[in-house]
Amino acid sequence: MTQQLIGRRTALAGIVGTAAIGTRTAWAADPIKIGFSIPQTGGLAAIGLQALLTLQIWSEDVNARGGILGRPVQLVTYDDQSNPANVPRIYTKLLEVDKVDLIVTNGTNLTVPAMPIAMQRGMVVFCMLSLAVNDKFKYPRFFQTMPYGPHGKASISEGFFDVAMGMSPKPATVALVGADAEFSKNAVDGARDQARKRGLKIVYDRTYPPSTVDFGPVIRGIASANPDIVYIGSYPVDTSGMVRAARELGFRPKLFGGGMVGTQAATLKGDLGEMLNDVVSYELYCPAVADKFPDVEPLLKKYQPRAKEKGIDPQGYYVPPFAYATMEVLQQAVTAAGGLDQDKIAKAAHATTFKTIVGDIKFGADGEWDHPRMLWVQFRGLKGQGMDQFVNPSAEVVLDPPEYRTGELRYPMGVAKQ
Amino acid sequence: MTNLRFGLLGLALIVALWLAGRLVTNEYVFFAGYAVAQYILLATAWNLLGGYAGYVNFGTAAFFALGAYVSVAVNKLFEPPLIVLILVGALASGAVGLAMGYLTLKLRGVFFSIATLALAIVAQAVVTNWEFVGGSSGAYLLRPTAGPWGGSYVEYLFYVMLVMAVGAVVLARCIERSKIGFGLAAIRDDELVGEAYGVPTLRLKLLVTVLSGALMGMAGAPLPFYVAYLDPPSAFNLAYAVNTIAMPLIGGASTWVGPVIGAVLLTAVQETAMVTISSAANLMIVGLLMVLFISLAPNGIMGLLRGVRSRA
Repeated sequence: MTQQLIGRRTALAGIVGTAAIGTRTAWAADPIKIGFSIPQTGGLAAIGLQALLTLQIWSEDVNARGGILGRPVQLVTYDDQSNPANVPRIYTKLLEVDKVDLIVTNGTNLTVPAMPIAMQRGMVVFCMLSLAVNDKFKYPRFFQTMPYGPHGKASISEGFFDVAMGMSPKPATVALVGADAEFSKNAVDGARDQARKRGLKIVYDRTYPPSTVDFGPVIRGIASANPDIVYIGSYPVDTSGMVRAARELGFRPKLFGGGMVGTQAATLKGDLGEMLNDVVSYELYCPAVADKFPDVEPLLKKYQPRAKEKGIDPQGYYVPPFAYATMEVLQQAVTAAGGLDQDKIAKAAHATTFKTIVGDIKFGADGEWDHPRMLWVQFRGLKGQGMDQFVNPSAEVVLDPPEYRTGELRYPMGVAKQ
Repeated sequence: MTNLRFGLLGLALIVALWLAGRLVTNEYVFFAGYAVAQYILLATAWNLLGGYAGYVNFGTAAFFALGAYVSVAVNKLFEPPLIVLILVGALASGAVGLAMGYLTLKLRGVFFSIATLALAIVAQAVVTNWEFVGGSSGAYLLRPTAGPWGGSYVEYLFYVMLVMAVGAVVLARCIERSKIGFGLAAIRDDELVGEAYGVPTLRLKLLVTVLSGALMGMAGAPLPFYVAYLDPPSAFNLAYAVNTIAMPLIGGASTWVGPVIGAVLLTAVQETAMVTISSAANLMIVGLLMVLFISLAPNGIMGLLRGVRSRA
């Protein structure tokens, strides 16, 4: 729970910078304090540290530009150790002791414990990287920036099945498999609904314990059911295990992939390398759509050297663009509200179409994007191992949504070496 | 001091803290206080079996999480008051304690400890597949904003946990100074000799296994209301087991006051370390303190104090 008061230093940098060009001489007011709990240790640290670095870059950027409403921004953060039980205490401390003005949350199971605290005090919740949190709370001051859209669980499989049903002939059977854990279970639940909706026969529908290390038996079980397509809901370790097992056993259905966490991370992608060829998974951003979102590149240029120093995801295609966008939403909502009144900020957040580095964001009544925009990609032309090849836009072909499509699905799944 | 007077002292402490709480406007104090009281309860519960009888239980998280999950299940079915949930949690964890006692108390030393560790793993696997309480996706539980007697619900949770922690300490002291306590001490020192002298070892061990399990279940029952979300990895978090063992060992495992000192000290050290050094150092500090105390002061702080007093 290491507290980091980042804003003072960056605020000073902003003062020096702006004074140098003669536009401002000093901050006229106290900083706007933005508090958040973020996993810097434990199982979710890999994502938390990327988000933290991005928020630091954002605060430096915004302070260099004159802050928000003429006030510098100060980040106040504590490490929740990836443990939801620490979260209520942290947000209470942020609000009661540190007296933060705004709060940000991160991750599904780390956002839920913060919700009662925020709701009790009427705080607006700016959230990144969480799925369907507000389905239960129905809190009108909740805003989530990941582009899952209004369909919750279905968004982690909808695009995959759209792509699958574009095959000719259409697939008739599907295998569903996932870990016994929160995200993968939601993904497979959504996929089951999608399969039924599209009249696919489910020939395999099982979960495996999160501690599984040998995925050979799982893949053999799926192969024996002979499905046309395979949908996998997995976490990084099992993503790696499933892909490796499929390659080792030569299992190549028409379509293989799904909501596979880890295929967005440079290190895992680089490690799997050519084994990922023809696998279909989701992304939030990738070089193939760089021309659609030109403002992401300057962020990544700042992020990448610092990420290398810190030993975190060196490419940063997954977390940083949307974490930065979360803070842009916050900044624009506060600016539109003209102050820190939470009711006005919430109203502004509902009314505004936000211009962010990941495109325009408009929130629906539930605080999620008003439309889904997950990118479904197919890995192509990978050779050996190494993460550098993923910088090439052709390494990931965008299949869905149609407006971002950069190529067509290649099927059936080919061999690894192509 | 008689047990009655000690109990009254505990009651006075609760009243004093309640009166002091009237002056507190910062809710963070109740959140932090809840964590301290929870660990006092858990450490005291662990000490009944581990400290008094010498049976080291690595399965704290299993009993604790069971209390929490039973609380989620019963609340989903009937939405009874929190007190009922705590009693049901205690009953469930006590029953599992009894079952575990029958199955494992023939095991001694490290074999018993491994069996308790296995219990935690089995319990986590069961809960992960128990869809009614959310399974692997976890369970949401929307806590009320206000407590039943005014104030916030978190304030209410703190007082409930405080009452349970004080009650557990009073119970532990009563046991320590009773025939049961002497019997448990005999088991800890040499079980065979104790049995030869007529100590009903199995009955005593079963009694403390049930009591210890029930108290841990009671500690877990309010957790879903405190966190608002419960998933297997956090309910069965290793930190519960590690801290619950470390606290009595550091404070002094064979006394009622040891777990209290250990819980207050360790929670304070951890909180300070997390804020000033790094949260990654948090469990390492606990580990280092445990190693230091086991090597240099096996009877904990209370043992050190006794040594100083006897030399004086």
